[in-house]
Amino acid sequence: MSLNDKLKDLRKNGINEAKRAERLQELNDLRVNLLGKKGPITKALRGMKDVPAEERPEIGTLANNVKKDIQLAIEEKMDELNQQMITKKLEDERIDVTLPAQSRTIGTRHILKQTIEDIEEFFIGLGYQVDAGHEVEEDHYNFERLNIPKDHPARDMQDTFYLTDELLMRTQTSAQEGRDMESHDFSKGPLKVVSPGVVYRRDDDDATHSHQFHQIEGLVVDKNVSMADLKGTLEALCRHVFGPNREIRFRPSYFPFTEPSVEVDVSCFNCNGEGCRICKYTGWIEVLGAGLTHPNVLEMSGIDSTVYSGMAFGLGPERFAMLKYGITDIRDFYLNDVRFLEQFKGVN
Amino acid sequence: MKISLNWLKEYIPVTHTVEEIANKVSLTGIESNPVTLSQGLDKLVVGHITSIKPHPDSDHLNVCTVDVGEDEDIQIVCGAPNVADGQYVIVARHGAHLPEGKRIKHGKIRGIESNGMICGLDEIGVPEKYVPEAFQNGIYVFPEAEKTGSNALELLGLTDEMVDLDITPNRADTLGMHGAAWEIGATYDEKPDIKKAELDDAKVKELSDVTAEVNDPKLVPDFLLRELKDITVGESPLWMQRRLWNQNIQPVNNVIDAANYVMIEYGQPIQAYDLDKLQENKLVVRNAKSGEKFTLEDDTEKSLSHNDLVVTSGTQILGLAGVAGGISARVTPDTKNVLLESAVFDGVSVRKSAQRHDLRGDASNRYEKGVDNGSVSEALQRAVQLVDQTGSVSEISQEIVGNKTEANPTVITGSIAHINHLMGLDLSTDKIMKIIDQLGFEAKLDGDAVTVTIPTRRWDMAIEADLIEEVIRIYGYENLKGTLPSGMETSGGYSPKREFSNKLSDSLLSQGLDEVINFALLSKTEVKAFNTKKTNLTKLLHPMTEDHEYLRTSLIPGLVNNVAYNQARNNNDIAIFEQARIFDRHQGEDRPAEVEYISGAISGNIANDSWNTTKKEVDFYDVKGIVEELLSFTNAKSHFEYVTTDEITNLHPGQSAFITADGQRVGYIGKLHPSYQSEHNIDDTFVFELNIDELFELNKRKVQSQTAPKYPSVSRDLAILVDKDVESGQIVNDIFTNGGKYLIDANIFDLYQGSHVKPGHKSLGYHLVFQNPNDTLTDETVEQAFDVIKESLVQKFNVEIR
Repeated sequence: MSLNDKLKDLRKNGINEAKRAERLQELNDLRVNLLGKKGPITKALRGMKDVPAEERPEIGTLANNVKKDIQLAIEEKMDELNQQMITKKLEDERIDVTLPAQSRTIGTRHILKQTIEDIEEFFIGLGYQVDAGHEVEEDHYNFERLNIPKDHPARDMQDTFYLTDELLMRTQTSAQEGRDMESHDFSKGPLKVVSPGVVYRRDDDDATHSHQFHQIEGLVVDKNVSMADLKGTLEALCRHVFGPNREIRFRPSYFPFTEPSVEVDVSCFNCNGEGCRICKYTGWIEVLGAGLTHPNVLEMSGIDSTVYSGMAFGLGPERFAMLKYGITDIRDFYLNDVRFLEQFKGVN
Repeated sequence: MKISLNWLKEYIPVTHTVEEIANKVSLTGIESNPVTLSQGLDKLVVGHITSIKPHPDSDHLNVCTVDVGEDEDIQIVCGAPNVADGQYVIVARHGAHLPEGKRIKHGKIRGIESNGMICGLDEIGVPEKYVPEAFQNGIYVFPEAEKTGSNALELLGLTDEMVDLDITPNRADTLGMHGAAWEIGATYDEKPDIKKAELDDAKVKELSDVTAEVNDPKLVPDFLLRELKDITVGESPLWMQRRLWNQNIQPVNNVIDAANYVMIEYGQPIQAYDLDKLQENKLVVRNAKSGEKFTLEDDTEKSLSHNDLVVTSGTQILGLAGVAGGISARVTPDTKNVLLESAVFDGVSVRKSAQRHDLRGDASNRYEKGVDNGSVSEALQRAVQLVDQTGSVSEISQEIVGNKTEANPTVITGSIAHINHLMGLDLSTDKIMKIIDQLGFEAKLDGDAVTVTIPTRRWDMAIEADLIEEVIRIYGYENLKGTLPSGMETSGGYSPKREFSNKLSDSLLSQGLDEVINFALLSKTEVKAFNTKKTNLTKLLHPMTEDHEYLRTSLIPGLVNNVAYNQARNNNDIAIFEQARIFDRHQGEDRPAEVEYISGAISGNIANDSWNTTKKEVDFYDVKGIVEELLSFTNAKSHFEYVTTDEITNLHPGQSAFITADGQRVGYIGKLHPSYQSEHNIDDTFVFELNIDELFELNKRKVQSQTAPKYPSVSRDLAILVDKDVESGQIVNDIFTNGGKYLIDANIFDLYQGSHVKPGHKSLGYHLVFQNPNDTLTDETVEQAFDVIKESLVQKFNVEIR
């Protein structure tokens, strides 16, 4: 067999062997065996001395091509085997993504706290300070300073838990008004404050009453505060809480510490004012009470009511949350059934 | 008070529907609701009983022939005891609808045909207690002949449409028809036409039978009487009766009815006495003697307080002033001479008496909110006029005065500019003056200054702010455009402490604890359960129940209740916290300090059995981990330690610790005591409680940035055998004390206590990490430090190095 034929034979066999290989190791072995220094090609080339000189370059080229071709066959096969292995691995590692997760649970903030914080943050954005005040308060601040002297009929509206003749569980966060006004330095600008917190009334607990509940009081005192400012502020608040298309309306009312006093209704967010069960078919829902700070209240805090005016409003987070989420029993807030609590995850 | 539109028409034109009026009044003045009586009722007509005979088959039924205004009379079987021939009655015709869906059909009653029903007032919607006594157990009989077949409901006032005013306490001026007419009139720009009560001058005489005296003129600013002689007591005319029962007042007789009628008209309570039943001809208004007895009209007896005002004659108590009349001088059918009283009593005194004796009523309601002292005399005159009209009086006395206070109108001065300024409006002076006039107030203008004279009927008004409210509500709040306060910019925000406590509660939320809110008022047992500060308890003066009697001293009892509530409902795995105040009252002080706490409770599993996990019940170290993470958010420089304690009674003595910051207690952590758990019927529960105020006061870390270490760390493992009572914390403290400046970490990785170690001992394994931030550590340096550590442990704790 001529050297030429021998090389061609080696090429044919080599390529065939590479194609037949099933494992990477076989291919590595094949490369060492065929193409190595001790391999048949090297060996065959030792017969070069018998080849006529003019044919040698041709044989040399052939031998290189044979090596290259075998090398290529081995590499192709290796790629193919690698590809097969990856495919198999991916197949083996297939999982059921519908199986339940390993939970990483974050707790739920109480819905009342979420409601309060949402409102606080709204007012912080408008430049209000948040001042929580005292839950045990003096009769003086809870009533007297709010223009509710002893024997005032308005004290009937809110039966009070007293600790002593002069100390009580505050019945309203408005109790903070007097303290905020007397401690404020008006030379540094207007007083703008919201006072959130717990208040107490001597009520029997039922679906709509709780002896403990929350309120947020808002108070602004400055030289130019008007009813229009009150309306604009509460309009913005109601749109923040109940949605951008809400309207509000004022109805005359009475609170001893504001004059004029108003009840504030918001257009029903459920029916857009068409009338439904939630708004008792009126299109409006009563959400809070407000007014201009009574001149007596300003004067009792040493503020000249001919120069300064104030606006105040008080709202109930329980009522807001009940309206917004359709909660029908106020006691649910205080029973703390985790199934009740957790449904409000992330609402605010 | 319900304002009948038919009645209102006597004063102002009524041109709108009851719904429109109620809506408009709600928006401009007083919350109102439309009321339509006898809705859905029909086929109720006047019938005239033309003959009556007993039912042949019954001992109490009668068969009546009734003229109902048609060609043929109809036959009705009637069981009422007071039915009689010739009566004008209410007939429900065949097909009539009565209240509560009741329907009348013709049929046979014990074999006799009956083509309708003769009705009592209670059967057509008048509550029984307001039905005149004579008709309470039977049919209603019209006092006079009426046109048969005519609409009975209309005659009885039961088709009246009414606006129900739900007043705020300052608007008691509308607790009378006149005041309501002024209010509704102002809304519609109509001034009411109110006629003065005229007396028959011929009958008014100088009589000197009776005198009146008021002991404390401050409590009784007005006390006026009129004497009426030779009256006939009888039934009031129907027009008066129907207005009374529509006001939820039972008609009694023409004297008492007139008194009540004037109260509705003027808002001024009127009292009537039988002159001949008085012990003495002198009425004295005085404070009752403590324990003095007073008998009400319904014969119940009240024991009086010295704070009660009473109207007396001799030793006889005629009435509790402004609250209730008594039985002793009550006007009855045989009364001949009457004394009418129109007075103003101090509101606070009346309110307290009414509350004290549980006798709040129409009169006390008006006195406690105030009455118009400008119409006391006129109201009395009106009552006299009405009694005279119905009871043909022979003589009327002049006003007998016990006390009389001149009624002066209030004058309010204001500035047009200031009024506009506070409203946030720019109304013209004319517009403002027009509104003031619409309200029936007289006003004078002097440049920008406006002086308004407020009639006595609006005693609620005193200052410019009141005037502003009147102007803006009549102008209409709907016309007010919202603005935001235009003053100097302010920066809003939370207090630093609130920011701090938010951070702590966020750290608990992020560790999976749900937030709860509990009541601050607890039972005595609850406030004692975790009173770790040993504070003085704070008790309510007048608690409503024993469950809510004391101010809480800890948040744990509330959390335990939450665990119990949830576990009773199969929510077994609970991780909750509360951030709120406890009340810490120091010895000798009334007012407790309010201290912010943050506390948690965890019970059940913190990991559940699932397809790839096995469940894990919460243990001490899980909760300790949560607390440590929380404490790291305090950013405190302090060294926190857990100091074993068995001091807290309701915690497990072997699994609880005080938490200290540089030795100062800031809280505690532990497992609930098994007996406490079983009392509350809950599973194993771990709790912690931390004082936010104290944590807030700790010195904060000053963070100075350090580049991450560039040189490798070196570690050594240390295995020791030590007496089982030695705490790991002690070992770790000692390791750090002796480890030198390159020791940066010492973690326990193994704890073994059991058969493979010496009895009474435990085996501990620690992984120590050394690092020099500025250089590579040599083995020699580390080995030296390691030796010092080991040596100290051997000496101090007698450990065996393994």
